[in-house]
Amino acid sequence: MSRRHFLGASAGALALGGLLSRAAAEEMRKREKQVLFVWLDGGISQLESWDPKPNTTFGGPFRSIPTSVPGVHFSELMPRLAKQMHRLCVVRSLSTKDNAHSSGVERIQRGDPKTRGVPYPYFGSAVAKLMGAGASQLPPYVWIKPGSGGFKPEEAGFLGPKYGALAFGDGQPPENLLRHPSLTAEEDDERNELRARLNARFAAHRAPAFTEANSYVFDTARELMKRAEIFDTTKLPAADVERYGRHDLGQHLLIARRMLEAGVRFVKVTSYGWDTHGDNFNGHASLVPKFDQAFSAILEDLAATGQLDHTLVIAMSEFGRTPRVNGHAGRDHFPEAWSLAMAGCGVRKGVVVGETNEQGTWVKSDGYDIGSLFHTWFAALGIDSVGDEYENNGQPLPIAHEEMNPIKEALA
Amino acid sequence: MKPLKPLSVAACDRQITCARFSPDGSVLAAGAIDGTVRRWRVGEKQLDPLPHLQGHHGWVCAVAFHPKEPRLFSADTWGQLRCQSFADDAPQTAWQLDTAHDGWLRQIAISPDGARLATCGRDQAVRVWTPEGKPVAEHRHTDDVFAVTVAPDGQHVIFGDRHGHLHAWDFAAKRIVRMFDATVLFKIDRIQDIGGLRALAFFGEGKLLLAAGTTPDKGATIQSTPTLLAFDFASGALRHTFRHGGVKDGFIEDLAVHPAGHLMAVTSGNPGEGRLLQFRPQEKEAFDSATQLPNCHAIALHPDARRFAIASTNRDSAGNGRRTDKEGAYPANSSPVSLFELPAPA
Repeated sequence: MSRRHFLGASAGALALGGLLSRAAAEEMRKREKQVLFVWLDGGISQLESWDPKPNTTFGGPFRSIPTSVPGVHFSELMPRLAKQMHRLCVVRSLSTKDNAHSSGVERIQRGDPKTRGVPYPYFGSAVAKLMGAGASQLPPYVWIKPGSGGFKPEEAGFLGPKYGALAFGDGQPPENLLRHPSLTAEEDDERNELRARLNARFAAHRAPAFTEANSYVFDTARELMKRAEIFDTTKLPAADVERYGRHDLGQHLLIARRMLEAGVRFVKVTSYGWDTHGDNFNGHASLVPKFDQAFSAILEDLAATGQLDHTLVIAMSEFGRTPRVNGHAGRDHFPEAWSLAMAGCGVRKGVVVGETNEQGTWVKSDGYDIGSLFHTWFAALGIDSVGDEYENNGQPLPIAHEEMNPIKEALA
Repeated sequence: MKPLKPLSVAACDRQITCARFSPDGSVLAAGAIDGTVRRWRVGEKQLDPLPHLQGHHGWVCAVAFHPKEPRLFSADTWGQLRCQSFADDAPQTAWQLDTAHDGWLRQIAISPDGARLATCGRDQAVRVWTPEGKPVAEHRHTDDVFAVTVAPDGQHVIFGDRHGHLHAWDFAAKRIVRMFDATVLFKIDRIQDIGGLRALAFFGEGKLLLAAGTTPDKGATIQSTPTLLAFDFASGALRHTFRHGGVKDGFIEDLAVHPAGHLMAVTSGNPGEGRLLQFRPQEKEAFDSATQLPNCHAIALHPDARRFAIASTNRDSAGNGRRTDKEGAYPANSSPVSLFELPAPA
């Protein structure tokens, strides 16, 4: 939708608290597309994964191996994913700007829009807003991560806390989410009626954005509570658990698969510990095979059930790693030329977009910043990120970086 | 901490992973991360470059000289094991095995009499070869094998894995005869297995088995403390633990046993951190520690037991982003090779 259309329909937009038009929003919500966003925090090395440069100055110790797409090679650390290349779209021409974690993570996950005085939403919050919870009525943005969990409203930026992430620390539901075994369902209903009455009284004297968010999160979490079996990996076939790997990343991706099966709109899975400034090669020899195992397993499963056709899958970090090997046998942060992988709905299969030079030090083709990726992902989900806009208290804001465009060769 | 003044420093435009002197002391050979073996003719006070040896792939991560014959063995991270002459300008290849291991061949060790060669690798295999490259024995382990050495008796191959499990293998009888617990050199942090073992050696007429490396504290950037464990080889009991420095000091990367009865070890930690340690395994403190050498990855003791060489790393080797030189090129790091002389005994 164009900016002119937006201005003409501002009343409707205001009523929706952010979206340009009710019709567009409804249309988006009808589409039950989903997202799996795998975040390898700290920075996976492109040279030890998607863009190997064997036997070159900076290529590192590992060999490359052929994939299921002739002519495309991955690092030998990813034998399983090499067999999945026909389902993947690998972008080897990322060229972003921020080489610090503290700002890089935010910049990448918010899509680096131009500074407009308001914090932009993380990708998961944006999708939660633009596409809604869907028919499942489960929380639209769930984050499975090691460590602590809870509600993370800060990720929603100007969209408001309602669109924050519900984080499952160590893959477990937030504390006290599940009904206590001593309560019957009837007792729980009575308790919730009381809660609703007290909420209404509380909301009468509070800003609606926060009280709505509170109720919304509680209601969607209650839906999740009814599906407690999603988190119970003890009931999974042992073979499934082994196939994904018993490490955190494997188990969290297995829970992610169940979340997607249950209908959660956006599932983010984070793996920490990829910032290998020291002993990078032994580090990646340990880390990458675990990612290879778990990520290939979920791709296989989503493909087998047909779910991959309507699920956008992304695996990435905040940047890549330097070609130069430092004295600690590590690689440092390198946003200048790095890679990510995508699969699923809306993206082309079995293609590599862009290339780096022989040494992996410069992008040879057009370099893409994160804004282009956000446009690409929105396009893959059927969201018009060029024509549509957000509305923030009367301020129209572009959905993605207004000077960038989708990567056409990545789109189906 | 004493200043350490080299006799000379030889340039090497790529980083070095390993270095050894030939038994006659005439040549220093080193493996580099550009797939070459670098060589220098050894003068009294300087190292004069010889042409590189080509033919490897990936990184050359191990070099070893035959104790009696003019043969140099070298191995790379793609699994190749080579044997060639080493003293000429154009050395001859005696033999090469392109897939001695499947992928990263981590270390080579030679029996004192030169009759057997042992190798280990990321493919979880330990192999014994004749000096002619014929297979003698194989042990299939269940983990990445980081280090290997041959016992002074020539009958036992000792290997250590990523998790810090050391095994004494009687390769003729094809059985593991003893195990040593060096698991303090291992830690799992988040989902990263941090293997701290770097070198195995014998000390004190074969009575002590030494396992050198690091005690890991944190993964990713790796924060860890240089560590050496000394085991009674006959019983398997841990006799001594030596640690030096803090978690920024990283790994003992390489080790030399001095015939006077002490150890010389080099360390590499956070970029810029590196030192030469001289110590006795039974003592808690090093009797000498020198820190002017950033990120040392190899030490070689000359057969005269007076001179030694250390491969370190250029200063400012680290940094985020694409830092280019004045010409706009993106430079690789390098390894200065310093030749030192031990002070004469008082």
